[in-house]
Amino acid sequence: MKFYINQYLSFVSFLLIPLLTFWNPSWFSLMGSQAYWPIFWILPWALIHGPYKSIVVGFILGFLLDTINADYYTQIPGLMICGFWFGKVGNLNYVNNTPLQFGLLASIGSLICGLIYFFQIIINLLLQNSNLWEFSYGVQIICAQVFLTGLLAPVFCKWLYLLFNRKSKLKI
Amino acid sequence: MVKFRRFSTSRWWNKRQTWIVILSFLILLFLRLSKTFIFWDIYYFITKPFWPGEYQQEILRKSINQELNIKLNQLERDNLRLRKLLDIQNFSEVNKLNSSVISRDTGSWWKKILLNKGSQNGVRPGDPVIGPGGLIGIVENISNLTSSVQLLTSPNSKVGVWSQKANLHGLLIGMGTKTPQLIFYSKNDNIQEGDYILSSPASTILPPNIPIGIIQSIDNESKPYTIATVQLTANPEAIDWVQIFRMGF
Repeated sequence: MKFYINQYLSFVSFLLIPLLTFWNPSWFSLMGSQAYWPIFWILPWALIHGPYKSIVVGFILGFLLDTINADYYTQIPGLMICGFWFGKVGNLNYVNNTPLQFGLLASIGSLICGLIYFFQIIINLLLQNSNLWEFSYGVQIICAQVFLTGLLAPVFCKWLYLLFNRKSKLKI
Repeated sequence: MVKFRRFSTSRWWNKRQTWIVILSFLILLFLRLSKTFIFWDIYYFITKPFWPGEYQQEILRKSINQELNIKLNQLERDNLRLRKLLDIQNFSEVNKLNSSVISRDTGSWWKKILLNKGSQNGVRPGDPVIGPGGLIGIVENISNLTSSVQLLTSPNSKVGVWSQKANLHGLLIGMGTKTPQLIFYSKNDNIQEGDYILSSPASTILPPNIPIGIIQSIDNESKPYTIATVQLTANPEAIDWVQIFRMGF
């Protein structure tokens, strides 16, 4: 039983991301914004599995989240870049898995994803020749997301990293 | 015999990886085409025991009574003109459906809420959703059991509105912030801060005269048209019960 739980842990925890996206627990919010939940999963996964598998997983995760949110803009490029970068960092053994490093990596990843998403909105509004748009709300969302993701990452990422790592040892 | 085995396992349809790739592709295709409605329905069942209780519905009823009193006064003032429009809309109490908010995403990029009523209850995309205080958004997507509502604060939201005092129609555009912008395409000095904004009687999408917000500030100088900032009267961050107006029911 324990073997099967470990075997499918990545998949089960992966399915929790859309549920968290729906749930949006208000006690984790800052100025109405939530932490960027997919980073908490893709960071430990990419550190273990390397950059190339993580690009594919980043694509699938982004695809799933885009489909849920049904918006004009996409999260796929941000998550693919983050997956690749986290995987590279994991391969190069730059991370000694301290809480500070998890927090920093997650914060920068969240910033990359947030900026890519916001640029898409800006480009779309510029193409529409709309002069009714504000920087403030995008900047506010990105700042809140970066701060919250960095704050919670040491807890969630470390925990998931230990769980995923235990699984990979079992496979060997 | 050995040769036969080698030959058979070298075929692509005998490889496990090929089928995993095909299966993954089909799952992704299904998710994309179904817009993850299956996730919405799973979420519906998981959160069902935690939905808000009946006492909050009582608060909603009281708020709606207050809202209706305001609306009644407004309707009496332009009764003759609206009577014709109401004949066209044929809108009645029967079309209202109470629903609770089971997911809320009001602060981040996606200004949406998820309701526990879907196509099974007759909800359709484009139906307006009213909370205590007034209009909060329009149903965007539906599943069998749930429906997602695009809030008026969303950058993708555009709604035709009307200032009764100035007798002027305008377009309310979501900006991502809590205060959407209202464009009046003609200059008018009668518009003042504090004026009520209602849904347009000329709209074929929304029922007429639903309270939407109050004008907070007006910019009459910088553009060839008038831009006003609107404070919405309904706050989607704080409500648990809403009403869906089933337009095509």
